[in-house]
Amino acid sequence: MLTLEDSRLTVDDLIAWLVRFDEQIVEHAERLTELDSAIGDADHGTNMARGTAAVRLRLTEARPDDAGAVLKSCGMTLVSTVGGASGSLYGTLFLEMAKRVGAASELDTTVFADAFRAGVAGVVARGRAEPGDKTMIDALQPTVDALSTAAAGGVPLTKSLQAAAAAAAAGRDATIPLVARRGRASYLGDRSADHLDPGATSAALLVQSLADSHAERVR
Amino acid sequence: MIGLVIVSHSPRLAEAAVELGLKMVHGSPPPIRIAAGVDGHFGTDAAAVAAAIDEIGEEPGVLVITDLGSAVLSAGLALELRESSTEVLVSAGPFVEGITAGVVLAATGAPLEEVAREVAGALDAKRDQLEPMPDAPPPTSWDPLSVDEVLINPEGLHTRPAAMFVQTVGGYDALVDVTNLTTGIGPVTAKSMIGLLSLGAKQGHRIKLDGHGPDAATAVSALRGLLADGFGEVPSGSAAI
Repeated sequence: MLTLEDSRLTVDDLIAWLVRFDEQIVEHAERLTELDSAIGDADHGTNMARGTAAVRLRLTEARPDDAGAVLKSCGMTLVSTVGGASGSLYGTLFLEMAKRVGAASELDTTVFADAFRAGVAGVVARGRAEPGDKTMIDALQPTVDALSTAAAGGVPLTKSLQAAAAAAAAGRDATIPLVARRGRASYLGDRSADHLDPGATSAALLVQSLADSHAERVR
Repeated sequence: MIGLVIVSHSPRLAEAAVELGLKMVHGSPPPIRIAAGVDGHFGTDAAAVAAAIDEIGEEPGVLVITDLGSAVLSAGLALELRESSTEVLVSAGPFVEGITAGVVLAATGAPLEEVAREVAGALDAKRDQLEPMPDAPPPTSWDPLSVDEVLINPEGLHTRPAAMFVQTVGGYDALVDVTNLTTGIGPVTAKSMIGLLSLGAKQGHRIKLDGHGPDAATAVSALRGLLADGFGEVPSGSAAI
């Protein structure tokens, strides 16, 4: 078992995160598609699984040299394989993070929090969704806030990521009563209420995957 | 000539819509690229859209026409991913009507902004058919380049004749306004196929042409010739000159 300093995300940590994300998406693909069939077009699980599998293959076949290259490779692969809004939005999240971190070889909590904030800002701009619209933003914005609070308080990285995952899960669950105002679910109007949003659900898996993969690597 | 990039969730949908639009173009069509589907599935790929833009990135402008919701997101991201520097606009116009109107006007060499306006307004003709007609505009003054002619072809000023109007006037340095004197609808510019269709001009209606610009006389004369000839749609022997 690797023992790493609990303050930075390295290139290998980022790759481990995205491999774990693929495992989580595969495990939950049926559930994501089922959630999407209630209020969307019943393809979120299969689309995401196609994308994360391609990301995993790309990153494990040729290990990028720096953090920005990992995130950019992930973003471009998702854009070209997921299709639909999820491809553009998850792609934007990673491409904006990549721009922010550049050629850094490792990211501390503050830099990661800052990059994640830039990524989520890109998703908000691209999708024109705000918190409360019943979208992935409802899980991603609480993540940004939790990471920023943790970074400002000097909390160790593992604990920061766990706090972020808890915030993402709470944001995901808070989408249940909401009426969708963006995306395919918005066509349903009030009938979109009482359903968990599939985009917020996959976004929460993304954050949980990071918390889990990092906790395992520093254990 | 500006280029068009067609973004769709389905290659078959995009190909059919482009094929339909190109039926209206007589002569050289504008450069068109399709970015549709993802990996054999329904979906859109921003990287493929960016590559399509770059393929025709030497043209003096590219108009992107999209189908459903997430195609718009992919087009937006493609603007950041593309490498060419030509001006690109993403149209909010309707897919089928917009592609048809866009290829016809782009084929005349019209600039990007003009084609973009035409595509954005491409639902107007359908809307006018389904909603009450607006009040007739006040009569416009006659000038020496105004002529009028009765529409003699049995089908009236439908899509094919309208496309011929657009292409003909596009060859001249002139602006020609077209008014349906019988119904009082218009004027619309002869460069707008959608505008021409919105005139609802039928056989027997009297059509007025008002020309402006250096080539106004020849442009008006050419359009009048099309009207007088019934756009070649009048059975031989019955064409009135």
